[in-house]
Amino acid sequence: MYRLVRFGILFLFALAVPTLVGQTPVGNPTESPFKDQDYQRPEKCLPCHQRQYDELRSSVKSGYRNVSPLFNALEVAGNLLNGGLLRPVYSDSVKTTTAADGSIIPLNTNLFTTPAFVNVNQVRAGFCIGCHNGPFLRRADDPTKREVPELAGVGANFLPEQFRPLRDYHLVDVTGKQVIPPEPGGDPPPGSLPSLGAAGVTCDVCHNLAGADLTRSLLADGFANNTLAFNHTIEKVGPFAFPVAVKGNFHVSSNDQSKIALLRSGAFCNSCHDVRVPLAAPGDFQRLERDINPGGQNVLYYRLENLSTEWQIGAYNSTTNPFGKVVRCQDCHMSTFPYAGNSSYQVGDLKITSPTPGIFAENFAAVPGVATDENFPLQKRKVVSHYFTGIDVPLLSTDELKARLGSDYPDAYQPGVDEYGAPKALASRREDLLRAAARISLDNTDKTAKLGETFTVRAECVSLTGHRFPAGFSQERSAYIQLSVTDDSGFLLYQSGYVVDKPHPETGELAPDGNLDDEELEHLHAVVDPGRHTVPYATGQATNGHTNQVFEAGPDDGPEERLFFGRSEGLVLFRNEITRIYLPGQGVGRSDANANPIIATKPHYEETFSAGFANTVDNFRSLQPLVPRTFRYDIKLPTKQQLAEMGIDSIKAPLHVHAQINFEHFPPLFLRFLARTTGPDGPTGHDLKLVSEKRIDDLLKNVRSITSADFTVNIQE
Amino acid sequence: MPRRIRIAIVSFAAWVWVTGVAQGQSGYVPGVTFQKDNPNYPPRNPFYFEGRVDWNLLKIDQPSNAWEFEQRGMHKQDDLEDNAGAIADYRQAIAMNNLDNGTCQLVTTAAQANSGAQLTPPPCMFTVRLRLAVLLSGAESDQAIALYNQVLAIDPLRLGVHASIAEVYVHEAETALNAGDIPGLYAQAIGEFKAELALSPVTALQVQLTGDEANNAHVHWALAEIYEKLSQPADEMRELDLYLKATKYHSDTYPWRIRLAQKKMEKAQAVEEAAKPAQDNN
Repeated sequence: MYRLVRFGILFLFALAVPTLVGQTPVGNPTESPFKDQDYQRPEKCLPCHQRQYDELRSSVKSGYRNVSPLFNALEVAGNLLNGGLLRPVYSDSVKTTTAADGSIIPLNTNLFTTPAFVNVNQVRAGFCIGCHNGPFLRRADDPTKREVPELAGVGANFLPEQFRPLRDYHLVDVTGKQVIPPEPGGDPPPGSLPSLGAAGVTCDVCHNLAGADLTRSLLADGFANNTLAFNHTIEKVGPFAFPVAVKGNFHVSSNDQSKIALLRSGAFCNSCHDVRVPLAAPGDFQRLERDINPGGQNVLYYRLENLSTEWQIGAYNSTTNPFGKVVRCQDCHMSTFPYAGNSSYQVGDLKITSPTPGIFAENFAAVPGVATDENFPLQKRKVVSHYFTGIDVPLLSTDELKARLGSDYPDAYQPGVDEYGAPKALASRREDLLRAAARISLDNTDKTAKLGETFTVRAECVSLTGHRFPAGFSQERSAYIQLSVTDDSGFLLYQSGYVVDKPHPETGELAPDGNLDDEELEHLHAVVDPGRHTVPYATGQATNGHTNQVFEAGPDDGPEERLFFGRSEGLVLFRNEITRIYLPGQGVGRSDANANPIIATKPHYEETFSAGFANTVDNFRSLQPLVPRTFRYDIKLPTKQQLAEMGIDSIKAPLHVHAQINFEHFPPLFLRFLARTTGPDGPTGHDLKLVSEKRIDDLLKNVRSITSADFTVNIQE
Repeated sequence: MPRRIRIAIVSFAAWVWVTGVAQGQSGYVPGVTFQKDNPNYPPRNPFYFEGRVDWNLLKIDQPSNAWEFEQRGMHKQDDLEDNAGAIADYRQAIAMNNLDNGTCQLVTTAAQANSGAQLTPPPCMFTVRLRLAVLLSGAESDQAIALYNQVLAIDPLRLGVHASIAEVYVHEAETALNAGDIPGLYAQAIGEFKAELALSPVTALQVQLTGDEANNAHVHWALAEIYEKLSQPADEMRELDLYLKATKYHSDTYPWRIRLAQKKMEKAQAVEEAAKPAQDNN
């Protein structure tokens, strides 16, 4: 009899396995049947999940992002332009907005709490914090749990002088009561501690997963803008099919296979790692895209971050990649990658050796002897890392991080390795990840060159990432080719992708400072208008800046020359571009030589460095994964006469071509714009202490030569 | 049967049933079920996408409109080094997006773009015209200049177009069969280079913000070369001086030009200095 029962159990188990394996995530899930539980601080999870806690603490998405000067400055800059429309509204709001048909409708739901969007301002409300602190927006419908208040006045009633960065609200005292710096943007008051909101994407945010929210995602596909549905209960979703009961029922480990399957899939990450920015009609000027859900036809957008779409339709989300299996986001960002050995494979004519994704460490998922009911013994299993290593390091010093996030906040540059041999330092892991991201070859370069004539260098590049490279906020994340041609004595004949140490008077650097990480590439010279404090406040760029005060082609102007003119010269820049198309009659924000404002008479395309000011985007300048692309440089050598004029007899053969791909943390000119617009001369009229020239100089960290190649060219007489 | 085992079986059966129901609810596959239109193909609104989409991502067998011909032309030019094929595709694209046959229009008011409806005919595209102009600039310079001027009609503020026209005139001057044509061609080149400089002038605000006293190093270098050929040393030295100012904090892709410019200026100054005593003696 018992044998029969055992057989029955095994049969049922066998029946269940295919359902588990074949799961696809479910949209619009029903409520969890478990009892409610408020969002918990990550410290609550620490006793049983110490390793995960420690790893997550060092990731930028948890904690750092919410106090990041760049994130906060970007959010401030957008609000200064549109009069605070990016700040959340809550269920008790009496604000209204005007629908497309002219009717007035309540505006009392935000990016995270609106069931289905009918108005672009619902997407705007809480737009930035909606991903970086999404579930807290729902929690904040209860005024007693609200960290970020609703603005009293928006649009023309916005009061920039009273406006605070989001991080001002993420501080509490020892009793848990919110404390706010006396002045907007001020330092944390003595003794203050990080609030729950300061923790950013916490354990609960992911493990409260309920499913994809299809009606809140603009293409009804569970992509972008935090379109997940969450439980707010003790049900916590982990990656294992048969979880063990938790000690004391602090939480219940979910056995809902659809939730588990979603958590384990790339689709889970897709819900946040596409970002679609709401735009008033007509939307993205070069691409018609709108909310396809019923009632959403007036909600248009442009794709600021397209990472998830890139992965979803790319080779890694298929079996036709070098690894013969789907490589999920988790396989690179939550595994032992890039520290678990290499694979060699062919991509086009390139032979590649790169780290192998999808290898996971074996460990306990919870602390043995502490975590399980009746001390049920735990087994070691394949576990994920919670480092979530990406391409970012904090733009805050360790002391500043500790002041805002707690005295135990890890140093991004700390020495040592973890139990798996991976560097503890976020900065080192970031660098290693970047070195796994791309390869370059010069093998198809012309083999000979002649004085006074042009020869062609061919730099073949391939991205090995699951998405395009770079990805994410790819209009500011930059990778580029640094290329040089020298003769055998070191005489520099050509350079591209170079930087020059120079002064930056606009942010107070009056002389070159010896630092190159704070220098802009030479394809473009631009300075962005920070705006100015005006009373009364008016929305728009006339007083709030965001236009280009200086905008001119530089000597290494590759991006424009290569794309629009088709010329094989200048900088190869893997940076997507947000663009403002000025319409006839609109000022571009600078003056001609006679001090007359330059007004567009026809549609004028110009790169902008403000996501809030863009009305179109080019997401195809980054490097496509696993599809090599060759960039040519037609390089003209000096003539004999020119050499003679320089006092040089001849150049010494052979020529040496060196190419390397560098990664730029953020474009310095973009940071200088944020420094100025959130500084004392910007629209708030005081310094919000977010970005400064010193911060740029001290903390902007580029990674040079993530891959390189060399080639020798003979000189033909 | 022990109670624990019975409970386990019932729980397990319930779980299997629940997961089965959950599966049945879901016809949804992220990225497939809804985002089924090719996300890499940007539908026009109101302007065409004036960028370059990797050709393999467009999944087009045969181009069917101006934009698709332009995209295939870019693929041929950039990826295949097939300039002849690119020229053919660009010509086809322009034939299908042309003011002369009414298949495109110039946008002259904001209302046209903001109307919320697709423009009919569509706006004239500039990228395809620029690319074709560059490819034709050596052999068919008149056509190249005409195309550049079409781009200026589409967007008069676009950087690099006047300089490109100037480069065509320089090429014409360098290859002119009739020596009498050369000064006129250089004069036209100078005019276009100056028009390029006027689009991004060095203003007092720019000097204050950047410390740059000059910009657009390549234009100043090109102007200096023209003035050298025209034997106008004062103008040549002025342009070399501006070139050196423009490269002071920005260097050059051809950094040896900086050394060459310095040498030329030193030589010119030496000649000037040498001439001074003679003048004094006179």
